[in-house]
Amino acid sequence: MSDTDAGSKAPGTVGLDELHGEPLELQMGPSHPATHGTVRISLKLHGERILWSDVQVGYLHRGFEKECEAGEYAQAIPYTDRLNYASPIINNVGYCLAVEKLFGVEVPPRGQYLRTIASEISRLSDHFTCLGAGAMELAAMTPFLYCMQAREHMWDLHEALCGARVTTNYVRIGGLQSDAPEGFAALCREKLAAALAIFADVERMLTENPIFRDRLEGTGIASAETLIAYGVTGPLLRAAGVPLDLRRTQPYLVYDQLDFDVPIGKTGDNYDRYLVRVEEIRQSVRIIEQALAALPDGPIDVDDPRLRLPPKGRVFNRMEELIDQFKLVTEGARPPAGEVYQAVEGANGELGFYIVSNGSGRPWKCRCRSPSFSNTQVLGEMVQGALLADVVPTFDMINMIGGECDR
Amino acid sequence: MPGRVVTVERRPRPRAMDSLGALAILRGLAVTSRHFFRNLWGFLRGRPTIFTINYPEEAQQFAPAFRGMPVLVEMPDGKERCVACGLCEWACPVDCITIYPAETHDEVERYPRVFDIDMSRCMFCGLCEESCPEEAIVMSDRVAIASTHWRGNVWHKQDLLVPVGDLEKRLGSIRRGYDTRASEPAVERESA
Amino acid sequence: MSQSLVTALASQALEGIVEVAESRGELVVRVLPVALVEVCTTLRDDPAFAFDFLMDVTAVDYPGREPRFEVVYHLYSLKLNHRVRLKVGASEASPHVPSVTPVWRGANWLERETYDMYGIQFDGHPDLRRIYLYEEFEGHPLRKDYPKEKRQPLVTRADVEPAQQRRQRERDSERYGRWQ
Repeated sequence: MSDTDAGSKAPGTVGLDELHGEPLELQMGPSHPATHGTVRISLKLHGERILWSDVQVGYLHRGFEKECEAGEYAQAIPYTDRLNYASPIINNVGYCLAVEKLFGVEVPPRGQYLRTIASEISRLSDHFTCLGAGAMELAAMTPFLYCMQAREHMWDLHEALCGARVTTNYVRIGGLQSDAPEGFAALCREKLAAALAIFADVERMLTENPIFRDRLEGTGIASAETLIAYGVTGPLLRAAGVPLDLRRTQPYLVYDQLDFDVPIGKTGDNYDRYLVRVEEIRQSVRIIEQALAALPDGPIDVDDPRLRLPPKGRVFNRMEELIDQFKLVTEGARPPAGEVYQAVEGANGELGFYIVSNGSGRPWKCRCRSPSFSNTQVLGEMVQGALLADVVPTFDMINMIGGECDR
Repeated sequence: MPGRVVTVERRPRPRAMDSLGALAILRGLAVTSRHFFRNLWGFLRGRPTIFTINYPEEAQQFAPAFRGMPVLVEMPDGKERCVACGLCEWACPVDCITIYPAETHDEVERYPRVFDIDMSRCMFCGLCEESCPEEAIVMSDRVAIASTHWRGNVWHKQDLLVPVGDLEKRLGSIRRGYDTRASEPAVERESA
Repeated sequence: MSQSLVTALASQALEGIVEVAESRGELVVRVLPVALVEVCTTLRDDPAFAFDFLMDVTAVDYPGREPRFEVVYHLYSLKLNHRVRLKVGASEASPHVPSVTPVWRGANWLERETYDMYGIQFDGHPDLRRIYLYEEFEGHPLRKDYPKEKRQPLVTRADVEPAQQRRQRERDSERYGRWQ
């Protein structure tokens, strides 16, 4: 699409710029079939060319930060599920790591490995959603259905781990809601193999498809400098050739003990973003396989009644643990006063939590630095001067998640 | 562990077929036909390969850990196990639980006179179950809570009571975590 | 990692830096509002700092403290892989802070969000309007004195349209003078 320049003219014809006309105003959204997210894009068009655009977010604003300030630390964990609902466990992990940093505790190795596995399952689910929905908005319905099938397998794993498919609420401050069920490793391998088999079909249909490549190649290009100036992270930045991955550069959990590659692109167009996500799916599967092989035995929770509920077996029968249980539920975990910023690599980039504690049981300030917010901001720059049809694939590959962008 | 940085490769586009895309159409047709015939064969054999189910006729099989709506455990004598301590009310992030305690002359003196859960507010997070010191409120595998009026979504105590036998799946799942950190094995709780 | 950053900050002796502290392994630098843009430019361009990423802008409300608001910036350096947190005070009577959009373009939306939620005025911002909430919204919801349960008056279409059309005209004449 990009090679057809509206300004160029064949001999004997008049270029579009020379025609007299007024810019056409077009509102895409807030509920538009070709944007998988509630966002409104105000466009000024000259023919098919975009003169100016204004991206307006906020249609899914639910006051996440205000709700967090109103409740105890543990009560904010279910709300973090609803940030990036395509990869809920990564949000859980990020929030709990931040609160644990306030306390200065670290969960035992088994807990860390399970968190890593669960994060990567969520990342897979996010990438399947992004690629499937992206293909659907380019009118390829079948890959979308296959991607949803692959995502169902990931959600089956969520369900086996914590009992919910989307609103996981899996990670706890100082541990996990529950240990992995028996036979989880076998189930995980089976589901991953099934998901990869379906995804191979998606790749077969999309990667070399000329229509798909026409829509993606050379569209939505942004240089690494532009992306960095806008604070864009994640697959978008990696597709522009910058190997920034927090799992590598500032490792958390057990990522420093696992072997995986960081895929980067060359040109930073939409097709590179697609290819980077496809490669990240393979790397995530590698990470899960290694973590499953290395999964140690032992406790998953820290043994600290200040922040983690005591085991139920002892609550039923012993007085001290019963008192701990009552104190922790009614007063909440009370981290020492101070402030932390903890970032994890979300599916779309750096997901950071900035928490200010004043020593009480409720966070004084709980700020979420969401990758989608910064990533969506650059959309206007990416489509400047492009064709109207390029908005759709560019928006798809930015993968704006309304819950995370608007919080 | 040092990781590599790999550059994704894009394959050169075949020139002849480029404008037509005929090869891609054939490849796509091959993929979808394979899926179609595999699903048809599975259907004919009675072993479906698709993951959708005929919902009202067939019920979804949930994992043992499945977290559906919270219910109250009913003991074999028909009474609730809840002692109305109010911890779940505290733990609930959305304040959907309402408890009015009362006293009796039974062995367990306290019981909830009123125990309401507003299911239209409940988000199935399971924090009530986790905070309960009596194993009295449990996330069941029931999910059918639709109603035509919001008042119909306030479930009262008599609606919420479920015999303990029906909850074995979830109870078995959460009991695995009861003694994970115990340095000494906890005293066996007498079974209900 | 953090130690070299502290020595670099000390050797530069940047004007306007009030305090350099470390808390939980994170570097916190308190800056005077008047010097904010200069400090940020140095932090971005000086190879000893090379903070090319502005990750986050937000504010914290401390009622009863002077200054009441604290605007917080999180910076990250891709080359040197380190982070710093900048803090600037803003008083309740005139919550004005210079905008860092000339330094990092990405500050645009982040500052709009902070303005929306806390009412901090960013001087020099190209387009300071609400981002999440509608323009008729009264108050700034993340301030501690804004009750969580507060209801807002219903805005009808008749209230919105004249103002919206006016804004649209202004925007048009600003950006598309040649078409009018």
